[in-house]
Amino acid sequence: MTTPAPPNTPAGAAARASTSERPGTRPVSEARILNGVVIDDTFAEAFPMKATRILITAHNLTWARHAAVSATGFATSVIACGCEAGIEAEIGPDDTPDGRPGYSVLFFSMSGKELAKQIERRVGQCVLTCPTTAVFAGFPRTGNERAEGEVIGLGRNLRFFGDGWQISKVINGVRYWRIPVMDGEFVAQETTTLTKAVGGGNLLILATDTDAALLLAEAAVRAMRRLPNVVMPFPGGVVRSGSKVGSKYAALRASTNAAFCPGLYGLTADSEITPDVHCVLEIVIDGLTEADVGAAMLAGMRACIEIGADGGLRRISAGNYGGKLGPYLFHLHRLLDMQGGES
Amino acid sequence: MSVRLTLKRVPALRVDLRGVAPAALQGLSTARIERLTVTHGMQTLALAEFFAVARDDADEAADELVFEGELARFDRIGWQLTDGRIVVEGSAGDYVGACMSGGEVHVRGSAGLLAACEMAGGKLRIDGDVGDYAASSLPGSMDGMRGGTLIVRGAAGDRFADRMRRGTAVVFDDVGDFLASRLVAGTIAIGGRAGAHIGYGMRRGSVVFVGAAPGVAPTFVPALGDASVAWQLLARDLASHGGPFAGLPARRIRRHLGDLSSDGKGELIAVL
Repeated sequence: MTTPAPPNTPAGAAARASTSERPGTRPVSEARILNGVVIDDTFAEAFPMKATRILITAHNLTWARHAAVSATGFATSVIACGCEAGIEAEIGPDDTPDGRPGYSVLFFSMSGKELAKQIERRVGQCVLTCPTTAVFAGFPRTGNERAEGEVIGLGRNLRFFGDGWQISKVINGVRYWRIPVMDGEFVAQETTTLTKAVGGGNLLILATDTDAALLLAEAAVRAMRRLPNVVMPFPGGVVRSGSKVGSKYAALRASTNAAFCPGLYGLTADSEITPDVHCVLEIVIDGLTEADVGAAMLAGMRACIEIGADGGLRRISAGNYGGKLGPYLFHLHRLLDMQGGES
Repeated sequence: MSVRLTLKRVPALRVDLRGVAPAALQGLSTARIERLTVTHGMQTLALAEFFAVARDDADEAADELVFEGELARFDRIGWQLTDGRIVVEGSAGDYVGACMSGGEVHVRGSAGLLAACEMAGGKLRIDGDVGDYAASSLPGSMDGMRGGTLIVRGAAGDRFADRMRRGTAVVFDDVGDFLASRLVAGTIAIGGRAGAHIGYGMRRGSVVFVGAAPGVAPTFVPALGDASVAWQLLARDLASHGGPFAGLPARRIRRHLGDLSSDGKGELIAVL
């Protein structure tokens, strides 16, 4: 599966390429080639975030999913959404507090204050409103959350929707709010816990065409979604508008990642595109720990490498912003080495 | 360190044991413990008048205080307890576990009046019966039990959980009249039958009847809305007490809301 690409393949050509041979392209002489795919000697650059996990349960999975999808909508990037969020996993009835099926959902933001605001809005507008749902904190209890100052409201303020008919219920040391609604009552745990997290792990998939790129990205996202503690917040887990830090326009904090736009090949001096690459898609990963993000990136890379050059994949790269974005660096080669990904 | 107090003789009058708690005995020699004073009627006497004191300083010895004997005339065992463990190898008098905010008291026999009154935390287990006004308030006080867990494996008297505000109180067997009267909030679960005037003047809170269906006063109304989520949360917690409460999550319920003469947000939950 991971034999070096022969010289007559596009990947092999890319591996031989250098800046001097092809103006506007990056040197790839240090790249690794697995199953005909060039793995760039680069790293993804991620940054610290705050995160929380909530459990949304409902009468059945359909309604739990409606609520989870709605609550995580318009939560692709902190640049303009306030938070990044996604469905982490489906939870069976045996693993939820109320014995009903549901979903665990992860929310990430740049500060605890902003995350508290987003949780209140999203749970209030998307979960409270959804038939039969209930919402619970998703992290295990430590018993010391308040002392650590890592607690934000979940149902704490939503209870006022009950207009005085809301009822507090403390069960086994946990406070819940029961808010009367038209299908019965909405039950929400009073608070949820925050944790430090890592946002912005990423992979860039450079493919021959749109069909191949979508297939590869979908496979990578499927592999990543099997892992706990991570979400891929963009639509379908994939983003086509990868960005770089900054812009020529002072008002913008981010702008298109010109180096990876095939349409700008030959036009920009720092293009990362080779002539055989016609479509680039990115997968952004937010995780609870550095290890979680790294594991998801590795899973995604492996899924893509397995499809390989025959499936239209030419290169795997990552968003390297030269240290301007954050302190977490996920080196693609090191990830592969640590997990025995090289053969 | 554990301390064992073995009853020498049954006192003629009632003895107040407030202050005889694991934390107060920590580091005291046997002689010092024997000289601790307790009131016996109008008298103040040494603890050694009533108990033989034995200490176990072994490292593995649990940090607990054990009373051995029939202590039905000894009141305020575990009064204002904050931590540590007290075991009564027999019955206890009035006010056992009253005003405790932490730790654990285990009475292997029965207890008298006002057990767990104004209890705020910790755990009080009584293997036998309790008298009237358990989990209620001290005379003249506005709030009864306001935290912690009271488990009565036998029966309870009248006015159980009167003015209770928070916490969980569980009775495996029957309870007397005026159960949960003036209840402010909290959770009560009854395994047997309840007497007359259930929930008289209750404002909020949940009273679960696992045994016989309760007689519901006309100031309660049937609840039509689904409350299955809250019931599952409650039932799973109560099921951990075992006995008549085991298997509760699998059972269906019928609720009544009231008392409409008060706030009307309480619920009587009959398990079907």
